Amino acid sequence: MSVFTSEKLSLEAGADHLMQLLRKAAVHPIPSEVSLSTLFTQQRLKEEWKYTPLDFLRYPWELTEIQPTSFPFPLAHSADETNLVPPLPEMRSPWDTLLLHTAHHKHYEIQGESALPIGLHNSGGAAPLLITVYVRANSSAEIGLFVEGKGLSLLRLHLHLEEGAHARLYIPYTEDNPESYTYFLVSAEIKERATLESYDFVARAHWKRSEMRIRLTGKEARAYLVGATLTRSGGMNDFTLRVEHYAPHTESNQFFKSLVHTGGRSVFQGNIYVHPHAQKTNAYQSHKSLLWDAGASAYSRPQLEIFADDVRCTHGVTTGFLQGDMLFYLLTRGIPTAQARQILASAFLNEAVEKIPHPDFRRFTEREMELFL
Amino acid sequence: MLKIENLHVSVENRPILKGLTLEVHPGEVHAIMGPNGAGKSTLAAVLAGREGYEVEEGTVTLDGKNLLEMPPEDRSYAGLFLAFQYPVEIPGVSMVQFLRAALNAHRAAQGKDPIEVSDLMKLLREKAALLKLDPAFLTRSVNEGFSGGERKRAEIFQLAVLEPRVAILDETDSGLDIDALRLVADAVNALRHPERAFVVITHYYRILQYIRPDKVHILADGRIVRSGGPELALELEEKGYESLLARV
Repeated sequence: MSVFTSEKLSLEAGADHLMQLLRKAAVHPIPSEVSLSTLFTQQRLKEEWKYTPLDFLRYPWELTEIQPTSFPFPLAHSADETNLVPPLPEMRSPWDTLLLHTAHHKHYEIQGESALPIGLHNSGGAAPLLITVYVRANSSAEIGLFVEGKGLSLLRLHLHLEEGAHARLYIPYTEDNPESYTYFLVSAEIKERATLESYDFVARAHWKRSEMRIRLTGKEARAYLVGATLTRSGGMNDFTLRVEHYAPHTESNQFFKSLVHTGGRSVFQGNIYVHPHAQKTNAYQSHKSLLWDAGASAYSRPQLEIFADDVRCTHGVTTGFLQGDMLFYLLTRGIPTAQARQILASAFLNEAVEKIPHPDFRRFTEREMELFL
Repeated sequence: MLKIENLHVSVENRPILKGLTLEVHPGEVHAIMGPNGAGKSTLAAVLAGREGYEVEEGTVTLDGKNLLEMPPEDRSYAGLFLAFQYPVEIPGVSMVQFLRAALNAHRAAQGKDPIEVSDLMKLLREKAALLKLDPAFLTRSVNEGFSGGERKRAEIFQLAVLEPRVAILDETDSGLDIDALRLVADAVNALRHPERAFVVITHYYRILQYIRPDKVHILADGRIVRSGGPELALELEEKGYESLLARV
């Protein structure tokens, strides 16, 4: 019997059930105090999941192993699996503890210039997977992460960028199967003069959360996070970002756009943390939501925690409907209403899409988004 | 060609136009002058079909067709063009993309096939040259980051591309320096045609030195209170609205 037709659990019982599964899938025993029930009790976790529906906890999941599948656009492959595991970050949530210990893991090392396209297919169970990528000093990596299928995909990705390394993370997402739940939990450690760029583009989704925690720990480390989502009826996309500046002269930029149709939900939580030592930090954050029709929901929460005095931090959040004067301008030139709205929607998303540096990824995103504009 | 009869328009239940009558024939240039708050911009908005303007009474026809019943895009197909006082920025939409959509919608309305891209580019470059606009502006987002003068030139550029029957220029002269004003005026003069009419809405005499009107109307308190030839504009320039309106 499919878990989707079984009787649903309460959220608390579901959290316990899932935790037991993840414990079973762990390499080492996990301390008994680690519990997913803290999602409902611990203030910080409650805040972080405040706007994100947890209904996936209601299914009596069974464990499954996620399978490789082809990546949706060409990305040269040359990185191989290795036994080298970078230092893992401190555990920040029960998800972290459960997933960083999972027996399902893959480790990669990138030296020189290399690409690592990871395509994954979930056949319908709870699938935990830990992926670590160690990018050596002055090396350059293109990492693709693509998940499709149904079930609960729990992807824990940790990137470790040594001095002067440069990594680009591509996340194309198109899965709107109503039985699909995808949780990307990404962390990155960025050393001196290293740069991480992340491009997270959601042409459609049933339930997807990208939670990123980026630590800039070396001087002149940079993080550049870009993303956009087109969320339709019954869909939910969540960008939860935390960029932590620990070293001086570090720079970060978050640029996100959400277009939400009736019955869709978009969540954006963007946090910038600047440690007292991180003087001369430059940090930017922008999130714009466009509510396409009545009945669309967008939750947007910018947070700044700044403990250094010589920094530049700017943030801007806007949420609104299509501006009537823009539409009117197009109409007066003879462009019919439906087409005018389509042009404006595509222009809205395009401000983010045009930042994708990989031409095939950009075309893929344009094509997938156009289907539903 | 454009016939406005006894037009009464209110905005949020406040009457703005109070019985405006105006007839424009092919080939003519009419200037509508008036002090602030006379209803000049309301006239432009209601002609183009902006929401929020309530027509209480009166008719507007273009070539015999009832303009007020049409949505804005149909007014455009009927041959009406409004050059905006404050052209709107459309980030992410290039001028080429914008005018391609507009031109093809016009062609579709006439039962014609879409324009070939090479023909489109040729047309756009040719019209850009008329306004001395750098062709690079075609690939920039519509009006985004344009200076005030560039925006107004871009409006006239669009006019040149869409070739309307009647063009309403809503304070196109405001914010233009003298060189840009001349450029715009030269372009409008080049676009004058026995089958095309212009309605130039302005506060100032200045633009009328370059675009010579056939008729000048003074709009005050929602009505045309005086009409005359180009000499009326000059009289206005010399005496000011106050003394001229006091005599009415």
